[in-house]
Amino acid sequence: MFRLVPILIILCFVFPTAGLAEVVDETEIDQQVREIAKTLRCTVCQTENIWESGAPLAHQMREAVRERVRQGQSAEEIRAYFHSRYGDYIMMEPPKQGVNWLIWVAPFLLLFGGGILLWREVKGWVTRTPAPQPPPALDETSRRRIERELHQDKLE
Amino acid sequence: MTRTTQITIFVVLLALLSLFYQGLWGDPRHIPPVLVDTPAPVFEGPDVESGEPLSSEQYKGKVILVNFWASWCQECKVEHENLLRLYEEFKDHPEFVMLGINYQDEIPKARAYLQRYGSSFPHMQDVKGALAIDFGVYGVPETFVIDRQGIIRHKWIGPIVDNVYTNLTQNVLTPLLSDPTPPRQGSGQTT
Amino acid sequence: MIIEIGHFSAVIALVLAVFGIASSGLALRTHNADWVRAGRMALTLIFILLAVGMAALIYSFLARDFSVHYVATNSNSQLPLFYTIAAVWGGHEGSLLLWVFILSTFSTIAVWLHWRTQPAIMPYLIGMECLVILGFLLLILFLSSPFDRLIPAPPDGKDLNPLLQDPAMVMHPPMLYMGYVGFSIPFSFAMAALLSGRLGEEWIKVTQRWTIFAWVCLTTGILLGGYWAYYELGWGGYWGWDPVENASFMPWLVGTAFLHSVMVQEKRKMFKVWNLFLIIVTFSLSLIGTFLVRSGVLTSVHTFATDPERGLYILIFVTTIIGIAFGSLMLRANKLKSQIEMDSMVSRESVFLFNNLFFLVATATVFLGTLYPLMIETWQGAKVTVGPPYYNAVFMPIALGLLFLMGVGPYIPWRKASQASLKKNFLIPVGVGVVSIVVLFALGIRSLFALTGAFVVGFSGAAILIDVGKISSLYARRDSINLLKGFLSAFTANQRRYSGLVTHVGVLVLVIGIIASTVYQTEKVVSLRVGDEFVIDDYRVKLERIHDVRGKNWTAQEGVFEVYEGNTLLTKLRPQKRVYDASQTPTTESAIYAKNMGHIFLTMPDVSADGVAVARGVINPLILWVWGGGGIMGLGVLLNIFRPRKRDE
Repeated sequence: MFRLVPILIILCFVFPTAGLAEVVDETEIDQQVREIAKTLRCTVCQTENIWESGAPLAHQMREAVRERVRQGQSAEEIRAYFHSRYGDYIMMEPPKQGVNWLIWVAPFLLLFGGGILLWREVKGWVTRTPAPQPPPALDETSRRRIERELHQDKLE
Repeated sequence: MTRTTQITIFVVLLALLSLFYQGLWGDPRHIPPVLVDTPAPVFEGPDVESGEPLSSEQYKGKVILVNFWASWCQECKVEHENLLRLYEEFKDHPEFVMLGINYQDEIPKARAYLQRYGSSFPHMQDVKGALAIDFGVYGVPETFVIDRQGIIRHKWIGPIVDNVYTNLTQNVLTPLLSDPTPPRQGSGQTT
Repeated sequence: MIIEIGHFSAVIALVLAVFGIASSGLALRTHNADWVRAGRMALTLIFILLAVGMAALIYSFLARDFSVHYVATNSNSQLPLFYTIAAVWGGHEGSLLLWVFILSTFSTIAVWLHWRTQPAIMPYLIGMECLVILGFLLLILFLSSPFDRLIPAPPDGKDLNPLLQDPAMVMHPPMLYMGYVGFSIPFSFAMAALLSGRLGEEWIKVTQRWTIFAWVCLTTGILLGGYWAYYELGWGGYWGWDPVENASFMPWLVGTAFLHSVMVQEKRKMFKVWNLFLIIVTFSLSLIGTFLVRSGVLTSVHTFATDPERGLYILIFVTTIIGIAFGSLMLRANKLKSQIEMDSMVSRESVFLFNNLFFLVATATVFLGTLYPLMIETWQGAKVTVGPPYYNAVFMPIALGLLFLMGVGPYIPWRKASQASLKKNFLIPVGVGVVSIVVLFALGIRSLFALTGAFVVGFSGAAILIDVGKISSLYARRDSINLLKGFLSAFTANQRRYSGLVTHVGVLVLVIGIIASTVYQTEKVVSLRVGDEFVIDDYRVKLERIHDVRGKNWTAQEGVFEVYEGNTLLTKLRPQKRVYDASQTPTTESAIYAKNMGHIFLTMPDVSADGVAVARGVINPLILWVWGGGGIMGLGVLLNIFRPRKRDE
C-alpha cells in the first residue's frame, strides 16, 4: 500500500506534462531576431555578437531586438537604433564609409598592385634570361628513357 | 635590396611600433560617448523603494544627473558615498534632480543595498535593461548629466571618485545650473 | 621551498643566458672554439635549469601549494588532476615559463644536433637563442613571476577559469608555443647565415625539417584551439577571428609561404633575400603575437591580465629582436644579389612567387583587421569592431585564390611550362571543377562561396588524383606490379613530393569541411518544457527530462534530449548548464552526436525557475572533415619528416 504512494506521486508529475507536450518551433520573429543579433556586437564581450554571447547585457540586447521586431521595425531600423546608442563599435563589421573603406579595399588593392608589380618584375627577369639552347635531336629509345627519368625528376 | 625597399620596410616597422606604443597607453574601457549632445531618451519606471511610478516627464526643464548602478557592482559601492555627498551639495538648487537607475538587479537586493549604504535621492527600476540600452550603457556604474533642454551633456563610465567628482561638480553641474543658457560643454572622459 | 628552487634556477638561467650571449660574442671575436663550447654548456644548463623551474611549478600545483601566488590564482583543491596540469600554463606567468622552457629545449637540441656539421653557425645560433631566452626570462622574473609567494597563504585557490577546464586546453598552448618557438631555429640559422655571410642554401637545407616540424605544431595548436572553442564556448563555431586567434594565424600564414618559397632556393638558388625576409617576418609575427596578446593593446576573450609597464617591456624586447633581424637583413642584403634566371612567365618559380604574394596579402588582411580598431582608436579616438563578417568578405576570396594556386603549382614544371603541357595537365582538372559547380548547382546550392569553393576543390583534387594515378601506373608498368604497389613505390621514391601532396589533400578536405559547416549550418533556438520536442533539419529532438548532476568541482542542470530520425532513436544528448563551485562561474556544456560526417550539436543555455529550458540545436554538416582534414595534413607532414634521407640532402 505504502509503495503505491510514491508511484502515484510520480504519475501526477508525469501525466500533466505528457498531456501538454507539444512540438515547439521558432517563430518568424525568432528568426529575424537571430539575423539581426548576429550583426550586433556584445559591447562588454570581445569580438562576439550578441547572439552568441552569454553575457547579461547581450541577453538584454537580444530582448531589445525582439521587442523592436515585434513592434514591426525593420532590421535596418533596429541596427540604426543600436548604432545611434553605441556608435560604430556595436556593428560586427566597420560600416563601409569614410576612412573605413581603407580596410575594405586595401587587401584587394595590395593583391592587384602586388600582382602587377610582381608580373612586371618576373617579365623583366624572363627577358634578361638568355633563351636556353634547343636540345639536339635524339633517337627514339634515349628520348623515352630521358622522358621517364625527367618525369621522375620533375616530381621531386 | 634597393634603397626604396629598405626605406619602405623601415617606415612600416616604425609606424607599427609607434602604433603599438600609443596603444599601450590607451584605456581599454575608453568608449567614445556617442550620445553626448543628443536628446536624452525618455524614461519611466517604478521607484525601487516605494514602487511609485517615476518618469522623465516630471523632471522636464531641470538639470538631471542620472546614475546607473547595481547591488552586485563593486565599483558602485566605491562611488556611493560620493553620490550622497553630491546630492547634499546640490539638492537645494531648485532646478537640480538626481536619479539612480537600478540595472540588472533584483528588487530585494537593491532595496537592501540602499538600506545599507544610504539613500537620499530616488532610484528607478530598469529590470529589463531596456532603458540602459536607450542610454547606450556598457556596464555599471555610468553617470549622465542632462541639461534643461533635455540634451545629454556629459557621460562618465566608471565610479565618481576623486578628480572625477571635482570635474563633474565644478565643470559640469555648476555651470549648467548657474547659467540659464549654458555654453556647450564638451563631453566627459577628460579628467 | 620547492618553488624557491624553481625561482633560483630561473635566476641562474638568466645569468647563464647573459653568459651565453657574451661567450658567443667572444667566440666570434677570438675564433676560440672553447668559447663556443662554453656557450653550448650554458645553453644546456639553461635547459636543465628551466626544466627544474617547470618541475617546481608543476610540483607546487600538484601539491596544491596555495602559498604560491600563481597556484592560488589558477587552481583549486577540487580541480581534477588532469586540468591541474593544464593550469600550469593556464595563466599568463606559467604560459610564459612554458614558452621559454620549450625555447631552451629546442635550442639545446638544435645545438647538439647540428654541432658537428655546422660549426661555423654555432656562435650565432647560441647567441641568438640566448638573446631570446634572456628577453623572456627578464619578463618572467621581473614582471610576471610564477614563483612569487602569497603570504599569508589562502586556504584554497581561486580555481582555473572553467572555460579552460577542457582536454584540448591541456595540449593547445604547448603545441602553439612549440610552433612559435620551432620557427626560432630556422630564424636563428637565417640570422647566422646573414651575419656570417654564408648565404648559400645550407641554412635552408639544415633547417628544412625544423621548419616543417614548427609548422605542424602550429597547425595542430591552431586546430586544437578551434576544437576547444567548438566544444567549450557553445555557439557551434570553431573560429571567431578573435585577435588572439589571429595572432597565431599570422605566423602560420607567413610560415606556410616560407615553407614553399624555400623550395625555389633549394632547386634554383634564387630568392635568397626573400626567404630570409619571410622567416624573419614569421618569427617576428610570433613575437608580435605575444606582444598583442599580453600587453592589453587589443582586448580579446583570451587576453591575459595586463598592465602598461609589462606591455612596454615586451614592446622593447620585441623591437630589439625585430630591429636586429631587419637591420642585419637591410645591411647585408646588398651582398645577396642572387642571379635570377627566369625562363618563362609560366613556371613553378613564378607560381611560387604568386603563392607568396597571396599568402602575404592574406596575412596583411588579418593584420589590418586585427589592428584596425587600435589604429582608429589612436587616430580618431573612436572605436570600431572588425568581426567575422569582415573576414568572410575579404579574407575568404584571397584564401580561395590560394587554393587555386595550390592546385596549379605542383603541375607546372620548373623553368618553363609549354602551352601543350599546360593544356594536357589542366584540361581535365578544369573540367572536373566545372562539373562540380554544375552538380552542386543542380543540387540546389546557390552560395557563391560554396560554388567557387567547389570549383577550386574539384580542380585541385582532380589534378592531384590524375598525377597520382599517372605516376602509379608508370611505376606499375615499369616493375610489372599492381597499381597499389605501383603507388607505394612511386610514393617512397618521391616521398617529399607526395607527402606534400598528402598535406594538400588534407587542406582540400579541411576546406570542404569549413565551407559546408559554415554555409550550410542550420540553427534553431526554442524554449521547451519536459516532453516537448522540436524539429531541426531531419531530426526530432525531444526533451525527456531535466535533472541535477554533480561533478568533481561543479554542479549542473542536465537536459536529457532524445534525438530521433524518423521514429528511430539515434541517441540521447545531455547538454549541461554548469556552475563551478570555486568561482561560481556558469558555463554551457555542449552535447554532440556525429552523423553523416556532420554533427548534431546541442546546448541548453538556460533553464528558468518554472522548468522552461532554452535549447539550441545546431546542425554542422561535414564538420568532421575539418578535423579530418587537419589530421591528413598532419599525416602528410609526418611522412615528410620521417622520409628516408636521399643522397643530395
